Amino acid sequence: MAKTLELKRRIRSIGKTRQITRTMEMVSTSKLKRAADRVHAARPYAERLTEVIGRLIDPELRERYPLLRQPDSVKRAAVVLITSNRGLAGAFNVNLIREARRQIERLRGAGVDVEIHVVGKKAVSFFRYQKEELAAGRTDITDKPTLEDAMSVIEPLREDFEAGRLDEVYVVHAQFRSALSTPPVTVKVLPVSAGAESDDASGRTQSYILSPSADEILNRLLPLYVRNAVYRALVETAAAEHGARRTAMKNATDNAGDILDNLNRTYNRARQAQITQEIAEIVGGAAALE
Amino acid sequence: MANRIKVAIISPEKTIFEGDADMVVAPAWDGEVGILRGHAPMLVLLGAGEMRIKLGGAEERFHVEGGFMQVADDVVTVLSESASTAG
Repeated sequence: MAKTLELKRRIRSIGKTRQITRTMEMVSTSKLKRAADRVHAARPYAERLTEVIGRLIDPELRERYPLLRQPDSVKRAAVVLITSNRGLAGAFNVNLIREARRQIERLRGAGVDVEIHVVGKKAVSFFRYQKEELAAGRTDITDKPTLEDAMSVIEPLREDFEAGRLDEVYVVHAQFRSALSTPPVTVKVLPVSAGAESDDASGRTQSYILSPSADEILNRLLPLYVRNAVYRALVETAAAEHGARRTAMKNATDNAGDILDNLNRTYNRARQAQITQEIAEIVGGAAALE
Repeated sequence: MANRIKVAIISPEKTIFEGDADMVVAPAWDGEVGILRGHAPMLVLLGAGEMRIKLGGAEERFHVEGGFMQVADDVVTVLSESASTAG
């Protein structure tokens, strides 16, 4: 009797958990849809900007633009890690933090001073726990990041880079390949490396009317490019977070279902055994009376 | 159809306008420029001001601040961090 009661209680409790995880799964699905739309909406701007910058950059002029400056030796670098504010997304944040630590260790191993900037509660509490000093810990960026958010993250770093206080800036974020594939990636945003690979570009520049000069335009465009890279990192991470959470919650719901099946089977077996035993007792009792 | 150009106004967050136009007037950094079909390839920085896209008798207005405009092969692309439809 005690056993069936115990089983009944567990069945009810797991049923409720399943209801919660199923709801969270559905919430994530709808948020994922909107976040993915934002990722796609951000794509044309990034593509055109990269194309135009690639067209303008003349590899020989690299030294003249502060944002393109390739330092001779890297002494100080910044790593910007973007995570989410909320958990229950499986290994999503853990993977991001691991990637960031790998980068930080690699840089430190090479004798570089590393500044750690993080976005998202999960990374902030992790690094606090590790007693790592954070140059910045932002928890005010929601899962609907705006361009202003991106600017507030990167502008101070860009100024430090231009002033020569930083030699490299990396951004660690989740790449949104699909809802199921959201691997962490590291992008070097400064110095800007856009257009470095396009060799055929310089020829086409000649035929363009440029106003004002190519120099002026590039000086204005490069900061836009840096900002946009960070904006994209934020948007992709937000979408990836919902994707990861949906997967995690789907697994939780499925697992809860499996456990429920098992418990129900055990419960029914216990109930039957009990009834069988009662009948046996009655029969036994009646036999004793004869 | 023959005299139209393609126009796209794109901000980092979304594509604000995409369509055909007879003429585009944009606030370049040093004054307004008008673009018609057959314009030479051009890359120009934008200042703050009003962008007008004319199609038939109608005119659509947008507000842009900063960014740049690229004209190539009768396709006008405006990239601006702060662009919005003017009310």
